[in-house]
Amino acid sequence: MTAVEFINLLISALLLAGLYAAVAVGMTIIYGVMKIVNLAHAGFMMLGAYFNYELFEWLHLDPMAGALLSLPVFFVFGMGVHWLLVRWLPKSDQPTLSSLLLMFGFWLVLQNVGYLIWGNSDRAILTAHRRTLPLGPITIPTAGLVVFIAAVTCLAVLQFILHKSWFGRSVTALIQNPYAAQIVGVDHQKTSQLTFGLGTAFAGFAGALMAMLFSFNPDFGRPFLVRAFVIIVLGGLESVTGVAFGALILALIETFGILFIPAGYQPAISFGLLVVVLLVFPTGIAGLLKRKWRLA
Amino acid sequence: MKFAPGFLPWVLLAVLIILPALGLSPNITRLLFITLVWTTTSIAWNLLGGFAGQVSFGFAVFYGLGAYTAALLIDRGVNPYLAFMASAVVAVIASFLIGLPTFRLRGPYFAIATIGVTEAVRVVMSNLSITGGASGFRISEHGPFRQVHHYYTALGAAAIAVAISILVSSSRFGLALRAIRQDEDAAAGLGVNPYQCKLWTHGLAAALTGMAGGIYARYAGYIHPQGVFAFATSISILLMPVIGGVGTVWGAVLGGVIFGIVEEELVANFPQIHLLLYGTLLILIILFEPDGLLGLLRRLFRRYGRDSQSKEADQALWGRSRLEGREL
Amino acid sequence: MSFEIPERHICGFIGPNGAGKTTLFSIITGAFPPSAGSIELRGNDVTGMKAAALVKLGVARTHQIVRPFKAMTVLENVQVAVHFGRQPIAATAAAREQAMNVLKLVGLEAKASSLASVLSLGQQKRLEVARALATGPDLLLLDEICGGLTSAETRDMLHLLQDIRERGATIMYVEHDMKAVMAVCDRITVLNFGQKLAEGTPQEIQNNEAVITAYLGKPVPGEHPSA
Repeated sequence: MTAVEFINLLISALLLAGLYAAVAVGMTIIYGVMKIVNLAHAGFMMLGAYFNYELFEWLHLDPMAGALLSLPVFFVFGMGVHWLLVRWLPKSDQPTLSSLLLMFGFWLVLQNVGYLIWGNSDRAILTAHRRTLPLGPITIPTAGLVVFIAAVTCLAVLQFILHKSWFGRSVTALIQNPYAAQIVGVDHQKTSQLTFGLGTAFAGFAGALMAMLFSFNPDFGRPFLVRAFVIIVLGGLESVTGVAFGALILALIETFGILFIPAGYQPAISFGLLVVVLLVFPTGIAGLLKRKWRLA
Repeated sequence: MKFAPGFLPWVLLAVLIILPALGLSPNITRLLFITLVWTTTSIAWNLLGGFAGQVSFGFAVFYGLGAYTAALLIDRGVNPYLAFMASAVVAVIASFLIGLPTFRLRGPYFAIATIGVTEAVRVVMSNLSITGGASGFRISEHGPFRQVHHYYTALGAAAIAVAISILVSSSRFGLALRAIRQDEDAAAGLGVNPYQCKLWTHGLAAALTGMAGGIYARYAGYIHPQGVFAFATSISILLMPVIGGVGTVWGAVLGGVIFGIVEEELVANFPQIHLLLYGTLLILIILFEPDGLLGLLRRLFRRYGRDSQSKEADQALWGRSRLEGREL
Repeated sequence: MSFEIPERHICGFIGPNGAGKTTLFSIITGAFPPSAGSIELRGNDVTGMKAAALVKLGVARTHQIVRPFKAMTVLENVQVAVHFGRQPIAATAAAREQAMNVLKLVGLEAKASSLASVLSLGQQKRLEVARALATGPDLLLLDEICGGLTSAETRDMLHLLQDIRERGATIMYVEHDMKAVMAVCDRITVLNFGQKLAEGTPQEIQNNEAVITAYLGKPVPGEHPSA
């Protein structure tokens, strides 16, 4: 492998990592605050993709603007879903099977409503972004770069919100110690609802971004679900930086895995990795490092 | 009504044995066949997911492996019934390979890991040449096609599954599984080995599911990875017992029967409506009636005061108390 | 920290909140592995063994926060322990009979067919003891079985402990109720911040300066500590 090939692979791994981080972060904060494994995340992503697609088809809106618009729309949508379904679940400080199955049921509903509306043929948003930016022998796909920048910006904004606002402090407190947080007056219900809205907003946003890169159908999002979970497990549950870290590792392994594994088997990498990671680092690599550091 | 619990399953079995003699149309026989195959998988899933509380999204792996094993063997002229047994054996081996690492995980983590396993196995099966890869595998079986034959095979499998389910639920092994479901650590503290219990239950469930897959493959004559190994297959196998009444012998049966009939009617015309319906039903059941349709039926019966006679009979018929479903 | 438990003794473990009593129990019964050190049972190394395996060697515990199988009947709860305990009984009828005997011992026979979830706290604590006892242990670790009980219930429980000891079992007993510990234990070990502070007979402990300082800073033997 030449240096140029290596750098090209590295760049595509980085761009992929940004995307993966955007996919995983919504699931992470919901899991962190409510201990709900949100399988409906895939459904929200799918809706985000079609949302962007419809705006582009009917209003000829720039997909980038569509993606940004998806944030508030899906925020409200997520709050609605929380109000309608999630708040009825019994509270628990560890993930329950009933919450897993509830979100799974909701995913089935979203997915099949998608099939009813859009059928099962693949759609794609075709824009001028589909060019590459040549830098000497190195090429950077423009669309990938734009999506990467958008994803990273949003992660930074989220990081800022989590650290600097009342809401962020409530979320952090609930993630770290739900009992103590409630004793000092954090409103669990309200914070949960906002968190669910925020998580859904990020799912829709990630879906809308990905619609600019990939073709999609109502089953869109499923392969990313397990990837998101790998990232959560790799990065631990406590921070946006953890998610970025997990996303980077997964993207690197997937991208460079092509060199060692036949292309047909590539989709199995993340799934294999999930099992390995769950077994070897049940608390995530970040958690592991942290513990080591704390003990030392 | 006191003798009903022990009595009804036999009546049902007798009716199902006699039915073909009364002259069923091929369509109805097909419907019953598919329903029986689904019911077998539903009961199998319920052993692990219902009794032991380990929700798996991975049963398509066993179903698919069973289907392919039987297909490859029957295609080479092996006796079909031997082939079905081989299906069960292959599925059991797979269940150990999957279970040994994943049962170190708990509850939802186990569930997520099984999603990963299903996806990975499908990808691998789509790339193997011995199975015809993604384009599927056609079975050429010698001898005439006799639908009734297939029907009785499926009926036999379902009957075995029900028998195993009843045996487990009334044994000390079943008691251990219930203990594990409610509090794994407390169960371990009383001498139950949760890891081993889960492994064996997984194996038992896999054997039944693999057998069902084999029986289906022989009937269908053509299988492909996107069908038998599909995530949708895993979903169907999970939905049946949860909707019928998770953790009860007859809830899993009820779920399988309803699913089979509704699926056959709806899938042909409106495939999406089918899963939309089941997704909605799943949500409603989680939120309002964790004991599933069986729990709902039971409540209706209560209201009309029909079975107020004997609590024990009630327990025997419905398997467990209502409260237990809430533990899910 | 290092200590030995003589056979057929009731050994009390006391110490302020967070001293490490429950953690000690969890390590001994295999709930989590020790980071260092070793545990021997009658001279055999059992360090890091899993809970289920330890039960087969005759080690059983109760939980400070009760953990009954709520959706099972009281009898079924105990039946699990009989079926899978040290001398497993496979036959259902025999197991039920044995479970019923244990329930009689703790005075829960009248509740045998009730769901465990409807029991009062005192009854649930007794169910914890019954389950542990039904595994047929030589070494029984009891974690705060009197916490939250009325004084009459506490008295019954202490009688039960002496009964169990008479039957040949060794007991390790953690309790906050100083009166109970002083009344029933042969030896007492005092823990503080994961360290052993003192060890001896109840009289010795009552007069130990270090213990008194760790608890209250003033010597009031027999009074219920605020900890």
